[in-house]
Amino acid sequence: MGKDFAQPPHFTPKDRPLSAHPLPLSEPAQAASAEPEAYLAALVELATPVLLADAGGRVSFVNRAATALLGCTAAPAIALDALFASCGVGGRIALPDGSAPQRFAQLKLSDGRAVNVEARLLPDGGAALTLTDVSAFVREAERARRDPLTGLVNRVTLHATLGRLLQAGKPLTLMALDLDRFKSVNDTLGHPIGDTLLRKVAERLGTVAEDGDVVARLGGDEFTILKPGSFTREQIEIIAKRIVDLVGRTYALEGHMIHIGASVGITQAPHDGSDNDVLMKNADLALYRSKAEGRGRYRFFEQKMDEQMQARRAIELDLRQALALQEFELAYQPQVDLATQEVVGFEALLRWRHATRGLVSPLEFIPVAEETGLIGAIGEWVLRTACRDAVQWPEAITVGVNLSPLQFRNPSLAQTVMSALASSGLAAERLELEITENALLEDTDTVLVLLKQLRDLGVRVSMDDFGTGYSSLAYLQKFPFDRLKIDQSFVRGMGANPEASAIVRAVAALGASLGIKTTAEGVETEEQLAAIRNEGCTHVQGYFTGRPMALADARALLVQPRKVAAIVEEHGL
Amino acid sequence: MSAAAPFQRLVYYSRNEVDGDADALDAAIDEILSLSQRNNAQADVTGALLFNTGCFGQVLEGPRRAVEATFERIQRDPRHSDVTLLAFETTDARAFPNWSMAYVGAKPAQAVRYNEIAASSGFDPSRMTANRLLETLHGLAMEKEA
Ligand SMILES: Cc1cc2nc3c(=O)[nH]c(=O)nc-3n(C[C@H](O)[C@H](O)[C@H](O)COP(=O)(O)O)c2cc1C
Repeated sequence: MGKDFAQPPHFTPKDRPLSAHPLPLSEPAQAASAEPEAYLAALVELATPVLLADAGGRVSFVNRAATALLGCTAAPAIALDALFASCGVGGRIALPDGSAPQRFAQLKLSDGRAVNVEARLLPDGGAALTLTDVSAFVREAERARRDPLTGLVNRVTLHATLGRLLQAGKPLTLMALDLDRFKSVNDTLGHPIGDTLLRKVAERLGTVAEDGDVVARLGGDEFTILKPGSFTREQIEIIAKRIVDLVGRTYALEGHMIHIGASVGITQAPHDGSDNDVLMKNADLALYRSKAEGRGRYRFFEQKMDEQMQARRAIELDLRQALALQEFELAYQPQVDLATQEVVGFEALLRWRHATRGLVSPLEFIPVAEETGLIGAIGEWVLRTACRDAVQWPEAITVGVNLSPLQFRNPSLAQTVMSALASSGLAAERLELEITENALLEDTDTVLVLLKQLRDLGVRVSMDDFGTGYSSLAYLQKFPFDRLKIDQSFVRGMGANPEASAIVRAVAALGASLGIKTTAEGVETEEQLAAIRNEGCTHVQGYFTGRPMALADARALLVQPRKVAAIVEEHGL
Repeated sequence: MSAAAPFQRLVYYSRNEVDGDADALDAAIDEILSLSQRNNAQADVTGALLFNTGCFGQVLEGPRRAVEATFERIQRDPRHSDVTLLAFETTDARAFPNWSMAYVGAKPAQAVRYNEIAASSGFDPSRMTANRLLETLHGLAMEKEA
């Protein structure tokens, strides 16, 4: 029809084709009065769709507009219900009578349009029915309520429903959900596949939802399920597990196998609050925790999450000023070659000394820096400072600098490294970049390309925290690392459990056969030193062979190398 | 769209989550099979299903969209979990052109016979490559047919 039904409901489009002729099935009641033909003709041509039924519920008249709207013609004296059925109309209307002289109903036409019917009692006991095509309005209203991509309800509707339930004092559960790795699906396979995936996720969520549940898409890869009613934690836990399992199952789409995960944050009213915004925030906080603790799981809201979030925000505010206020410093921890007993390098370790907080643990501020993107600027500061410091050392030994996985998202990383080397004058082979396996977890190929660029500059690359990640061995095949740094948890565990020793031994052997140096981290005692030496590690770094120290002390250590030898001698290395 | 490789083949194994005794499992498998045979015939999907040692193994093949839609339904089924895809590839010819869903292996209730088949096929889907699983299913289906 080419019209978008933007007209108000009382107006029937004039350009609608008239598919049939009106049927004056019997003489209209008014025929006996003055100029009855004129009335009849007017009724026939009236732009409003009109039907007349007799007292027995049989259709006595259908005007042109009604015929066009219904899209079919009526057999003479057909029952109203039969007429609707034969036109494929869904729904029915009870005819008015003395007790209810006016009745309303909404019908669904075969083509999906919605029609409001108003039936009024006529003096002869029959009824006049006027039809109003409200599909445009229903559709508009639906559109305003729904997310066009998935057909789920949108944020506005969710809020409205939530508000209504809370106002009525009803108990309910709110589950906020977002997808892990959705962004990389979008980036690598394109938005159309990302959209299809979102639709599949919506469908899967629909199969978990029960009658009365509201499933909403708030935007992006954020979904929320509102579950009215009183449920125990255990009951909700079963549902949350099912969601995590179901959404996390592989998708086969357009010839691609797609793996994503879901994290869920849960809050319940009235237990955790009874205000719209509070509950939405609770669910988000719980979701945030669930993601932070590892992907693909669920968490219930706890009051302390709020405080933790406040604390995190406070750190973020301070962190934003830390560079400008020059609150960062680097400490250097010696790395010792077990064969020569010499310090062959230092790892640069970031310290944040805040005016009132004092020394803030990297465990506390690095995650915040990564989340906020501040890690980019901070990481660059570390890189440049470490290069400048190392140039002044009396010996040409290496300086290890940690790179956050997030720094690999920046394609100009190689340029930054080049610039740090050039402006400091440090030889490339003295810089050793330490990366964790996490950096290789996403967009592995892109990261490998970056690593190769760095390697081409002459820079060394070591793998940090080795053994704590996922599929380390595959990465070793993909990139020739210079060094494996065995995570300190293994070194610490060596005394107590044989598995830890076996792992240290295996990594050392792996390193030896691949020609990769192996550094045992976290060595604190003489026994540990003997043990890692015994298992075949080539290097050591830990409190026992040197705590992290200020730049000046590191320099001094190099000027009097006997000092290390002395410590080591003393402990019988 | 491309002229080559008109069929998509999907091979997976999964862990059984049907609770209950062998009879309950039999009933579940019967239901899955009759549903599969009806749905798959309609969707032009063919393949084979095997159950053993707590695992399902299945091959689905047919037009890509049909295979994907069928697999999506199967993925949502709580009667199994840990679905591990072994293959998702295009192919020129179906391995099971005549079976909307062949069931190979005996019903769990016939435990003895089922163990025999398990032993003779060496079927442990979790240790198989896609090709081996495909071949095993194919071999068993042909045997059954003969
Ligand atoms: C191991 C296993 C294999 C299945 N194979 C098929 C199949 O090949 N075709 C099919 O239509 N349904 C199969 N089903 C059943 C589907 O999971 C699902 O129950 C069925 O298609 C009905 O889906 P519906 O309720 O959404 O219509 C299988 C289920 C399981 C557990």
